[in-house]
Amino acid sequence: MPRQPPTKEELEARKIVGINLETITNVHDTNYPGHYPGEDHSWDIEKFKQEFSVEIHKNDPYEASFSLIGLDASIANAFRRIMISDIPTLAIEQVFLNNNTSVIQDEVLCHRLGLIPFTAGKEGLRNFVEWQAKPRETGEPADCRDSDTFQLELKVRCEHNPDAGPHETDPTKLYKHAHVYARDIKFNPVGRQYEWFTGENAIRPVNPDILIAKLRPGQEIDLNMHMHKGVGSDHAKFSPVATATYRILPVIDIVEPILGRDAEKFQKCFPQGVIGLEKVTAEDGKRDSRYLGHEGELKAVVLDAMRDTVSRECLRHDEFKNKVKLGRKRDHFIYGVESTGQLESDDIFLQSVQHLKAKAKTFEKQLVNMVR
Amino acid sequence: MPSQLKTSGSDDVSMDDAPTSHQPQQDESMMDQDEVEDDEENDGEEEEEEEEEEEVQRVKLLPGSTETAASFEFANEGHTLGNALRYVIMKNPEVEFCAYAIPHPSEAKMNVRIQTYEGTTAIQALEKGLADLQDLCDVVNDKFLEARQKFQEQNGVTA
Amino acid sequence: MSGQGESYGQSGREYENSGGGGGSGAVMHYMCGDCAVRVPLEKGAPIRCQKCGARVLYKERTKRMVQFEAR
Repeated sequence: MPRQPPTKEELEARKIVGINLETITNVHDTNYPGHYPGEDHSWDIEKFKQEFSVEIHKNDPYEASFSLIGLDASIANAFRRIMISDIPTLAIEQVFLNNNTSVIQDEVLCHRLGLIPFTAGKEGLRNFVEWQAKPRETGEPADCRDSDTFQLELKVRCEHNPDAGPHETDPTKLYKHAHVYARDIKFNPVGRQYEWFTGENAIRPVNPDILIAKLRPGQEIDLNMHMHKGVGSDHAKFSPVATATYRILPVIDIVEPILGRDAEKFQKCFPQGVIGLEKVTAEDGKRDSRYLGHEGELKAVVLDAMRDTVSRECLRHDEFKNKVKLGRKRDHFIYGVESTGQLESDDIFLQSVQHLKAKAKTFEKQLVNMVR
Repeated sequence: MPSQLKTSGSDDVSMDDAPTSHQPQQDESMMDQDEVEDDEENDGEEEEEEEEEEEVQRVKLLPGSTETAASFEFANEGHTLGNALRYVIMKNPEVEFCAYAIPHPSEAKMNVRIQTYEGTTAIQALEKGLADLQDLCDVVNDKFLEARQKFQEQNGVTA
Repeated sequence: MSGQGESYGQSGREYENSGGGGGSGAVMHYMCGDCAVRVPLEKGAPIRCQKCGARVLYKERTKRMVQFEAR
């Protein structure tokens, strides 16, 4: 019996992961050559180009949300992992304490300083900043250059405020510089850094209101810092994203009509905006005999499955648990990239794609040397 | 159409020669008598490459590999490259088997095993996989840039 | 956890400020435990605060520069 080529519906159905009350079905991608006899699923760049698409939902500078459709989970995950751990950023690495008489311990203060996110001119970050050279064979660190090290300074001394009122209790008014904020960090450019990082492009904290330490009169913090390029896999302070996540598009399929009071209850099982209520019309009756006789009643329709959080609440109720099929579309990834402020979100994603390509390229070149 | 699964062939690796997951640094038996050795095939682990212009050799062929059944070890790689590469290599109809593994989470090593049908060698399949992965990244890159352009036009380009 | 704050600045990157001159030897300052006044003491001097007579004195933080990794 000759095999029929798969219909469009069948192909679409293969993409859907079934979500049932207590089980998940059809989880894995089966589009590999040899899985379906007679079908060719080998890698074809043209076919991929046709079926792959990108939809951007939101593209604010430091928060982007977009969909990649037609991609496999392994690639989607590779992009996500690279965004978190392999995209380089600048962060404080060395702290030279001249004096710290605050109640915050030296190491705690230094740890906090390392976690402060900084921003700077995009041109300079992309084109001027280099990796620090590796330490010499003797173990000594390499010399710092103006292209790989940035000097910052924090020098605050807390004093009594002579102008404070007699019954003042607020420490910020009673004392001068009682609170040390990120905005108190000063950037001292050196050499070519004047060209790239001055004015608008100066290296400054993303959020100047980050509280670093609290002081009382007589206490002082006097330190210098060096800032280097690093990656998230080394230390989380170097990660350019607060979070880089994706979720897979939910699919809600109403197989039997849900009408009236059931429809309202059904709507409440989902987040707002997922399910809408519409009046049954005569056309519905003509099109689908199950709606006959129910004109005027409210029926449940799926408005926007993307807003669903797949809590499966509707499957817990007997009234409609057999009338709806839940699922996820396996190749539709909705990404959310939240930047910490040094790089822009869309730039972070583009860099991660480039990075995966560069990884593959490196090994392609090294393959030649592996085989002698 | 790809051939049936091979049960045993004259160039199939015997049980004693198949490598275990952990490889000690010095291997006593590099040369195996029952394998067919080709000129381009080497258990190249003792002869380490010198550092060539700052690039350390990060992929090596593991012992016990034949022309159509080979294991590779990638240094300083993990699931990021492993799973992605596995997916692309599996899309090759000449590949009978492809899997990746991380022998121990404390060591940054990633092994990829490729077994091919008679038409291609394992190394060719790996090359093709790496090339296809780069093409894939190019397509994603271009389509994202297009979509971003369209989005900015529709919503007005904000500074 | 103990390896986190490496202060290897002590071996060769320090620059000492000598304490205030005067007196037969080096004069070091200590902080009084009760009245927090900076008390200068010479070597061999009795350990008492000048102002309040308390006998608990704390050593001041070093003037040497200390280096840490921000990790």
